[in-house]
Amino acid sequence: MASTPVQRETATHCPYCAFQCGMRLSGPREAAVVDGDDDFPVNKGALCIKGWTSAEALAHSDRLLNPLVRNAAGQLVPATWDEALDRVADAFLKTRDEFGADAVGIFGGGSLTNEKAYLLGKFARVALGTANIDYNGRFCMSSAAAAGIRALGIDRGLPFPLEDIANAEVVLLSGANVAETMPPIMRYFEAQRANGGMLVVSDPRRTTTAAAADLHLRLTPGADAVLANGLLHLLIRDDLIDHDYIRDRTEGFERVRQVAATYWPERVERITGVPEAELLQTARLLGRASTAMILTGRGAEQQAQGVTNVLSFINLALALGKVGRPNSGYGCLTGQGNGQGGREHGQKADQLPGYRLIADPAARRHIAAVWDFPEDELPGPGKSAYELLDSLGPEGGVRSLLMLGSNVAVSAPHGNNVRRRLEALDFLAVSDFFLSETAQLADVVLPSAQWAEEDGTMTNLEGRVIRRRRAYEPPAGVLTDLKLLELLAARMGRERWFTYASPEAVFEELRAASAGGVADYSGITYAKIEAGQGVFWPCPSVDHPGTPRLFAESFPTPSGRARFHPVLHRSAAEEPDEEYPLYLTTGRVLAQYQSGTQTRRIAELEGMASEPLAEINPITAERYGLADGEMLTLETRRGKARVRARITPDIRPDTVFAPFHWPDEQSANLLTNPALDPISRMPEFKVCAVRIFKE
Amino acid sequence: MLKKERLVVIGNGMAGARFVEEMVARDGADMYDMVVFGEEPNGNYNRILLSSVLAGCHRPEDTFINSLSWYEEQGIKLYSGVKAGWIDRMGQSVYAAGGISEAYDKLVIATGSTPFLPPIDNMYDEDGFMRGGVFSFRTLEDCQAIIDHAASARRVVVVGGGLLGLEAARGLLERGLEVHIAHLGDYLMNSQLDAPAGAMLKQTLENLGLNIHLDKLAESITPPFAQAPVGGLKFKDGEELECDMIVVAAGVRPNIDLARQAGLHVQHGIVIQDDLSCRNDRNIYAIGECAQHRGKLFGLVAPLWEQARILAEQLSGENPEASFRGVKVSTKLKVLGVDLAVMGDKDPQTDDDEQVHYSEPARGVYKKLIIRNGRLAGAILLGDGLTTPSVLQAFDRGELLPDNRASLLFPGAAGPARIDVADLPDTAQVCNCNGVTKGRIIQACQDGNATLESACSATRASTGCGACKPQVKAIVAFEANRAASRAATAISVIGGRKVEFTTISDEASTAPPESVPVAGN
Repeated sequence: MASTPVQRETATHCPYCAFQCGMRLSGPREAAVVDGDDDFPVNKGALCIKGWTSAEALAHSDRLLNPLVRNAAGQLVPATWDEALDRVADAFLKTRDEFGADAVGIFGGGSLTNEKAYLLGKFARVALGTANIDYNGRFCMSSAAAAGIRALGIDRGLPFPLEDIANAEVVLLSGANVAETMPPIMRYFEAQRANGGMLVVSDPRRTTTAAAADLHLRLTPGADAVLANGLLHLLIRDDLIDHDYIRDRTEGFERVRQVAATYWPERVERITGVPEAELLQTARLLGRASTAMILTGRGAEQQAQGVTNVLSFINLALALGKVGRPNSGYGCLTGQGNGQGGREHGQKADQLPGYRLIADPAARRHIAAVWDFPEDELPGPGKSAYELLDSLGPEGGVRSLLMLGSNVAVSAPHGNNVRRRLEALDFLAVSDFFLSETAQLADVVLPSAQWAEEDGTMTNLEGRVIRRRRAYEPPAGVLTDLKLLELLAARMGRERWFTYASPEAVFEELRAASAGGVADYSGITYAKIEAGQGVFWPCPSVDHPGTPRLFAESFPTPSGRARFHPVLHRSAAEEPDEEYPLYLTTGRVLAQYQSGTQTRRIAELEGMASEPLAEINPITAERYGLADGEMLTLETRRGKARVRARITPDIRPDTVFAPFHWPDEQSANLLTNPALDPISRMPEFKVCAVRIFKE
Repeated sequence: MLKKERLVVIGNGMAGARFVEEMVARDGADMYDMVVFGEEPNGNYNRILLSSVLAGCHRPEDTFINSLSWYEEQGIKLYSGVKAGWIDRMGQSVYAAGGISEAYDKLVIATGSTPFLPPIDNMYDEDGFMRGGVFSFRTLEDCQAIIDHAASARRVVVVGGGLLGLEAARGLLERGLEVHIAHLGDYLMNSQLDAPAGAMLKQTLENLGLNIHLDKLAESITPPFAQAPVGGLKFKDGEELECDMIVVAAGVRPNIDLARQAGLHVQHGIVIQDDLSCRNDRNIYAIGECAQHRGKLFGLVAPLWEQARILAEQLSGENPEASFRGVKVSTKLKVLGVDLAVMGDKDPQTDDDEQVHYSEPARGVYKKLIIRNGRLAGAILLGDGLTTPSVLQAFDRGELLPDNRASLLFPGAAGPARIDVADLPDTAQVCNCNGVTKGRIIQACQDGNATLESACSATRASTGCGACKPQVKAIVAFEANRAASRAATAISVIGGRKVEFTTISDEASTAPPESVPVAGN
């Protein structure tokens, strides 16, 4: 790669999680220097090791520097962009002619910029005319999103800035190991506790985060809603709920109160495994605090009852009268870098930009007008992520697929099935900057620019829209995804709708498309973002300052009130039994990110976490004769994985934990259960039944 | 459209109402016209919470599960406050007073049970009503009556030292009464506990202020009846306790009269098969406390709800083969200040059963496990609430227990001890966010980055979440101290001055190196 000297520092943001730490890049690409951006208020200069080492991916020797196409011998060989794009366009046109537009699918990702996510959605509807577009954020945020919309009328991960955490007297963190997934956020919890606040963490594992808490509720996997309902029962019993707030600002409490009557402490203890004394302690902490927050992560959300799990926690926050009050409320901790923005602008099967529903006639009219495209040609809702993957191939009917910014061969549940489905495709094109496990299966691989090589916007976990800035030109032979979509659209005969001078031009169109929607970006401009430290949506006009805090006066529901939802918990889709006697829960480690495509290639991160370690309690280890560091096989009804054992009392005796960042026989997602939430279509990553064998 | 079948449920308590809810959850209202007879004049409420209501912890309205309007919304016809009078099996109808008749295709009997009232003289007045000041404790109405009377009462005797009796007693104690418990057995809760546990429970309850009398068979309620509702309670052994209130909690009896009159097979309860249907009428089912399954009656909520779910799965067509195979029974005493959980067998049943127990009377802790084929067959856990959930779950799931049984009774509840940084090996990871070891921090100090800030920026320690900052600070101080002490040792040799060594803990701040005189070496 040619040396690309850069004279100045570029202020941009980390490529990884939704915390989007501000960072400064300097030096040439080959020796790029990363420093924390002291001026960015979210991380104030802090970075975790993923951030510190992030620039190493830019000039990595594995980097794809030209398109690859599969030749007659079945090998991926270098090709020109024209060859590659022609292959893709020909395949899509052929599939569409033979099997209809819906036989071409798009799979996107939560790491794409707002501009890319937006354009990808438009590409699906306008260039391809397919209903079938969804993205990997379905595997992250969809449950919290659906619950937020139902209960609060809006889905913005945190309805308040992170700084409010430091002022909350009590925080209940449910199923979120943020000390590993977004370490700099812990500074806010440290500050909270330095201010005399209390942190309660519920998790089947004693994670790094749980270990830092004042109280750790070590609940049975899948029992989240039982815990929330049980806490509500105690709050009602001890009259620690806010009657005035419930009367003035909410609706539907009566039925929730009645359901709570069936979650008395003895029953809750039995199901959750959390001692009554700890339930009571938590309820009292929450109920007596003048400011309190309830935050959920993937633990509660990545379940076949993820939506109702989140609703049960929102019920709790509403009953406490805390939503919309200062330094209080409910929030969800978004995972992927642009997990928030990525779910707002049309990358989801059921949505159009601005968080509009594709089935809503008014929304369709608005978008058709902005796009200058016939409304009746806009497709309707398509298949959700796992259903889309499960319908790849002749049987399911989606025969050609374009994938951007996602590595589903590692990250989707029931990996064996996903792999079979990908192989059953007539045609697969993957855009990535490394030859990911999914790209290895592709017919055409399109090398894309990395984070430091593109301009655009991201929306962090607070709903703050920020600028990703280009520090380097993409290497020769590499294009940005925006350019890729433009070129492909032209080959599909849709050039007129896909001609943009710059990412900013795409954003300008996004602004118009989102205007009047729930996620209204119409008042946000690049200049405005740059003038401050980002802008919080909704921001409906250029002179509007943005909305750091939601719900102070009312909720964006038809009645203006927040809505309670009665939640009756269900068992996990697959509970342990004689054959598969243990729970399996999956998650993340600090030094790796998602499917590991990037982080597994960075030496320092590999040094910290080079392979998945399955956490097993000493009691369970003794039963199976397992010693620390020994290899074992994890087996579920869907597959097997070989991993090394880490014997630790941090995990419950009835549960095995495995991180999912690794491919092939180490892949935890060969094991996971694709049972879906009926509303969000979130797969059940966090609970299934497993058996283990010592090798 | 197919005509809907008619489903009639007799009983709107814990089992009957739960069954109706389970049916509704399975769209049962689309398949059946549902009719419910409920003897109590409410929607339905959680009877489990009555002890808590009596103790003043729970308001009665917070025990309601389904209001009258809920039944309406679901399209269910509820006869609230109406007792089903008889069942005509030939005509497949249920009749009740007031000319009510409801035809059924399927009938579910969930009549529950009524308090057992032992034969005590003078319990009833001349008209056959229970005498004023004497109460049973079963319904919300009973509960309210007890609360009302307790407001002006002084001294109460609770007849029965079982679960319900003890819970009632504790509740009345909360209401400021002098409370006596008269128990027939020679130790408390004798159907769930062994004698040592019963004795320890007695001690625990006495410490709370309850007065407990064992081996007491109540014989008669004593006058005067005129001024006060009652004067006292006299026992067979001649002893008499003066009191102005009596609560009888001496167990329950299944309500099986209706079934018996209908000619259904009844023994102690209505005899049901694994599909929960009655033996001699497949269109009639019985669930809850009134049902007898494989010789057993169930009085706890978990098995009742299990039956309700299974029957709903069957009748809704979700799983026509669903069957009830019995459940493992466990319970906790809901008495403030007492942690007591019991499950399964209280004593070994065969010579092969293994028994593990631990007793610590001074703290009121008693734990006992009955183990059969490596699995938990029963347990008593008194005075240790934190152990309860894991033991309960091991019992519920029939888990194989660890060879070291103690690990179940004494899980390492304590968190890791605070570690002195001085004791950490150099390979120990101090900063998790950046994977920095103690050795690397020490190296950085030795390379001239001897302040907290410079050591952090040299190693990136503490630049992520920042939680390790105190440790890094301590290590920097430790290293500074070590360097200083090396120097100081030299000084002490050279200058003959006494040098004090400081122990480093993670919070200790020690003198920075520059304050220690350093000899050139």
